[in-house]
Amino acid sequence: MDTLLTAEIAANAPRYRRKSSTFIDGIHDVSTDSNMAPAQLYSTMSGRLFHSGRIAIVMVGLPARGKTHICVSMARYLQWLGVKTRIFHLGDYRRATVGDGGQVPQDYFYPNATPASVMLRQKILKKCREDIYAWLNHENGQVAIYDAVNPTASGRRSLAKEFAKHDVQTLFLESYVDDEEILKENARNVKISSPDFHGMDPDEAASLYLKRIQTKIPVFETMQEEELNYVKMINAGRAFFYNNVSFNYLSHRIVFYLTNLHIKSRTTFFVRAGTATEEDSYKADAPLCEEGKAYAAKVTETLLRHREQERKVIADRSGSEPPVRPLTVWTSTRLRTIQTAEPLKELGYKVRQRSQMSQINPGVCEKLSERAIRALYPEEVERHELDPYHHRYPRAESYHDLAVRLEPIILELEREQNDLLIIAHESVLRVLYSYLMHCSTMDIPKLKFPRDEVIEIIPAAYQNEAKRIHIPGLDPRMIPGSPEDIRIPVPGPPSGQLSPIPGLSSPTEFTETNILTRPPEKVVNLAKEMVADKVADED
Amino acid sequence: MAPKTNGIGVQVEDTRICVVMVGLPARGKSYIAQKAQRYLKWLSIPAATFNVGSYRRNDSPHPSADFFDTNNAEGERKRRAAAEAAVYDLLKWFKNGGVVGILDATNSTKERRKWVLDWLTREGIEVIFVESRCDDEELIMANIRDVKTSSPDYKGQDPEKAAQDFRDRIRNYEKVYKSINADGDEDDLTYLKIMNVGKQVIINRIRDYLQSRIVYYLMNLHIRPRSVWLSRHGESMLNLDGRIGGDAGLSYRGEEYARKLPELVLESVGSDRPLTVWTSTLKRTILTARHLPQHYNQLQWKALDELDAGVCDGMTYQEISDMYPEDFQARDEDKYNYRYRGGESYRDVVIRLEPIIMELERSEDILIISHQAVIRCIYAYFMQKTQEESPWVPVPLHTLMKLTPRAYGTEVQTYKANIKAVSTWRGKGSTAKHEDPLPEGGV
Repeated sequence: MDTLLTAEIAANAPRYRRKSSTFIDGIHDVSTDSNMAPAQLYSTMSGRLFHSGRIAIVMVGLPARGKTHICVSMARYLQWLGVKTRIFHLGDYRRATVGDGGQVPQDYFYPNATPASVMLRQKILKKCREDIYAWLNHENGQVAIYDAVNPTASGRRSLAKEFAKHDVQTLFLESYVDDEEILKENARNVKISSPDFHGMDPDEAASLYLKRIQTKIPVFETMQEEELNYVKMINAGRAFFYNNVSFNYLSHRIVFYLTNLHIKSRTTFFVRAGTATEEDSYKADAPLCEEGKAYAAKVTETLLRHREQERKVIADRSGSEPPVRPLTVWTSTRLRTIQTAEPLKELGYKVRQRSQMSQINPGVCEKLSERAIRALYPEEVERHELDPYHHRYPRAESYHDLAVRLEPIILELEREQNDLLIIAHESVLRVLYSYLMHCSTMDIPKLKFPRDEVIEIIPAAYQNEAKRIHIPGLDPRMIPGSPEDIRIPVPGPPSGQLSPIPGLSSPTEFTETNILTRPPEKVVNLAKEMVADKVADED
Repeated sequence: MAPKTNGIGVQVEDTRICVVMVGLPARGKSYIAQKAQRYLKWLSIPAATFNVGSYRRNDSPHPSADFFDTNNAEGERKRRAAAEAAVYDLLKWFKNGGVVGILDATNSTKERRKWVLDWLTREGIEVIFVESRCDDEELIMANIRDVKTSSPDYKGQDPEKAAQDFRDRIRNYEKVYKSINADGDEDDLTYLKIMNVGKQVIINRIRDYLQSRIVYYLMNLHIRPRSVWLSRHGESMLNLDGRIGGDAGLSYRGEEYARKLPELVLESVGSDRPLTVWTSTLKRTILTARHLPQHYNQLQWKALDELDAGVCDGMTYQEISDMYPEDFQARDEDKYNYRYRGGESYRDVVIRLEPIIMELERSEDILIISHQAVIRCIYAYFMQKTQEESPWVPVPLHTLMKLTPRAYGTEVQTYKANIKAVSTWRGKGSTAKHEDPLPEGGV
């Protein structure tokens, strides 16, 4: 028997890493707790939502059809809604089986493959499916996304049957592309950084790559099986076809999400609002103070300079002038965010206000010092420390409430094709950041957005990247975690140095050591490494 | 065109969209059009429906089936004239600030669709075609009997004969009917095609967020019969003092209402089939729901919390008027858009209620126990109340309301608990703690 087949798959199970930092997109992490659902509307005993049972979303489509991007985005959104979702990339299992640098036999995808190849295929499929069942049955999973080519109708029919036997509903999601431009674009984006194509004209490399796929997977039947539940996404969302999908609400939700998804790469920037005249009041909608206005000007300058530099880098690399990407600005309806956008508006940038983006409501904690809160509501403080994400002080919003309120913003964020600058209160930035970088709900209330940084999030198919851009020359008093932020006691760092004295919790943040522990200014992310082994990936 | 601002600072999309219905008669086009219009208007997006049939009716009030035969030159001319008149008015409406117009007609041929598309795109209006296709004969006849025989075309005629005539009228359309992109040459159109009440759906070339929103909404609609029950919480301790907002418990009479509610609900539902109960996260609604049967599922929604009165929370109207006289007056002048300092406006409440409406549309029987302003907003959605009316609608305490959506509107039934409570309704300009609603316009 082929030595490949004897390789112990379980020992080489696809790598899943543990969450190490909130600066790394956590979408591929295995969660160790159940606190991963920012916008879950309600909870149930089984942990499954929307009156839906267990669902397998089975991807269908040839390589270079953007399946990974769709899987990852969908998982991001579903987990945000509180649906326990996990992606199973069949390619990970194949790689784990054939080992580093190993190759599957030439006829691996052929309908008339040799018995050895068929056995290898079966073995890999079996291992992947066992993991799916184990996760759905024993780990309370609700949606398993099965990422593979699934090229034939007969294969898909038997897959649906097999899932049904395990009491799992199947929804197929095909990414069908016949637009040459999109195909080449996809191939260019992910695949041709492979050494195989080194030094080749990108167009030529893309064509060669696509031709290779065709030789490798000669038979592909697009979905037409009337009895199956399927969504066909045609040419990256230009059209959709649904067959029998009204059986559950989740599928509608997914579809709505997908209609807003696009494959254009665009950047999101996060910026805090400037300081206001009446710092510690939520209710008074105070305008910016003088320093706040100066801050607005500095932010604008830094951001525009950064964009110009980035453009120059691309221009130097490609030798041609790239087009200026338009920038849209979103603020909340709060005065200080609107006024922070004022310099950009004067320069002619489009500024839109969104009432959903108002800061978290502090309720009874308005204007109270941390000490006062502890004295007045000792039981609430205790409960808050147990679950800072879901607990709400009397009349206040929890972070969870805020996330639910921000859901329409998430969809518009996906829809937006321009680069986007979001100017908002720290609480809002925390929640939006957690969507894009998939943070645990335990971390969200603690995320820090000091005023001297512009956060830039760059999307990529496999995972997003976060950068921090320093804004120089700011008065250190205005930098730290918002003085106007609600002084809801948040559990401190593990060392337990939560300062019960008002005002002391913030200034500690810009001590020498703290600045040192702050993440480096540039990329803090490993997307490139993660993608590296996907380069030669064929499904 | 300069972007319009919608009320206070909330900027609407600067796109203008025309939803053009496509499909044979008796496919539920008017139902879809009516629902979409109501939803959009509720979200403060100016929307209006232009029904070609009603234009034609002005000209020929009771036509027989052969009027609709395409070989009938006179009928064809008149129908064309009606379509032109409708499109003319539609364009005029867009010029006056319309955002989403709905053209309700069969638009069953490629030529007609192209004609409509050309007219609208010339004016810079995006077009989304929404086609309802159905070949289930039973569904069609059921729809004809339910809805069409009550159509003004058949006023005073024998229903069976009317149904037959209507079926013949459809046959005339069937001769020329062409489903969107059936020949593959309409691929450039933005369209939503719903086949056999959602068994299959095609979505093509959605261009912006508002379009995707409309499509998502339409996909969540269902036609299974159901009702929505609305109730305010029982009278609260703060209600007694005429204070707004707060998070108080129930008064003695409020508690009495909570105990009576299960009986009232049972009477209205008529059977012990379970309802799903949605409350806010505030004490007074949770306390009101607590005696409902165990087998009713209960969910608490933050989105159902009362309008946040900001700095005025817990004050009486007299105190507000003393402390913030300008605000008090501003609120009376435009109650829908007035946002309490540090609080919310009715408009803000509507925006946060949007997911609730989406959930309501896809759900079946739901009982909502919430607060005056929130119930006003939900009521406004179902009853198509304008922004001027909705913040003033009287929603008395200790009263259960049952709303049942029908093809052409919503039916309301009210059930009084006959337990005394203060009135929290307030007339324009008044600072009274408790006053009775004006007799006209009540729930």
